[in-house]
Amino acid sequence: MKSVVTTAIASADAAGRFPSTSDLESVQGSIQRATARLEAAEKLAANLDNVAKEAYDACIKKYPYLNEAGQANSNDTFKAKCHRDIKHYLRLVQYCLVVGGTGPLDEWGIAGQREVYRALSLPTAPYVEALSFARNRGCAPRDMSAQALVEYNALLDYAINSLS
Amino acid sequence: MLDAFSKAVVSADASTSTVSDLSALKAFVASGNRRLDAVNAIASNASCMVSDAVAGMICENQGLIQAGGNCYPNRRMAACLRDAEIILRYVTYALLAGDASVLDDRCLNGLKETYAALGVPTTSTVRAVQIMKAQAAAHIQDNPSEAFAGAKLRKMGAIVVEDRCATLVAEASSYFDRVISALS
Repeated sequence: MKSVVTTAIASADAAGRFPSTSDLESVQGSIQRATARLEAAEKLAANLDNVAKEAYDACIKKYPYLNEAGQANSNDTFKAKCHRDIKHYLRLVQYCLVVGGTGPLDEWGIAGQREVYRALSLPTAPYVEALSFARNRGCAPRDMSAQALVEYNALLDYAINSLS
Repeated sequence: MLDAFSKAVVSADASTSTVSDLSALKAFVASGNRRLDAVNAIASNASCMVSDAVAGMICENQGLIQAGGNCYPNRRMAACLRDAEIILRYVTYALLAGDASVLDDRCLNGLKETYAALGVPTTSTVRAVQIMKAQAAAHIQDNPSEAFAGAKLRKMGAIVVEDRCATLVAEASSYFDRVISALS
């Protein structure tokens, strides 16, 4: 799993040397930002269901055609799956906040994403809308501190960019 | 390869839940600079630690450097020093990551079988690792024994806190113990 620490160790190992001062500096940089990241992760975990519900409602509101017969949100099973998918992305965002890199989103979310959505003929625009809603819904200091929100929004932007 | 953070993520993903218990990770972050100092203390003294550990191992078992011993001639002694350094290096990586996976995957996996095939005596190797374990503890605490070290005494001169990084010493020791149990 890629993170600042594992990247530093992998490069030191490739060169067969002990962790150098610059390796330790880069790890320290990650640790300094970790407090904000963990705060965002904690707040997101506590409200994951609500955030996912709001994001899901927002994307169905913008794309009401999804409710029509034969579309991706047309029956209860599909609705539950749509909601689950949004929650899935937010959970991966929470993992990324914990790890301090985009490893979890890359490995478990983005890899193969395009192929899966094409095979299932799912539109990606509603996912973009749902994540964009979450991206713009967060508010500092109501939801979390400003720095934590920056980290959280950066990861949502990363997920949005992967879908568009 | 995992670190303390990705380890938490991988175990949370197994139950498709969010990472809920962040207290251990917060403690990791809070003592981050201590950890970096500990890694630096080992990395800065690595060659001294390795040569002393191998020399100590040989002192206790002179047969190693006599004809037919595993540290005779120089070529095999050099291989021994190199291996001790590799083991110490991976322990340092594990201490930096806060997780043993890099040590397990890249160093210990198959090491016992390799040594058995090459005829390396594991009891001697274990002894050298034990010496490095004691040295690492002394360097992390920045409290090396003047009686043992004599003129070779080295200190990092870090501002030492009251508990002398007891949790980090315990963590580093656990990685050395992991090496010892993998070999024996």
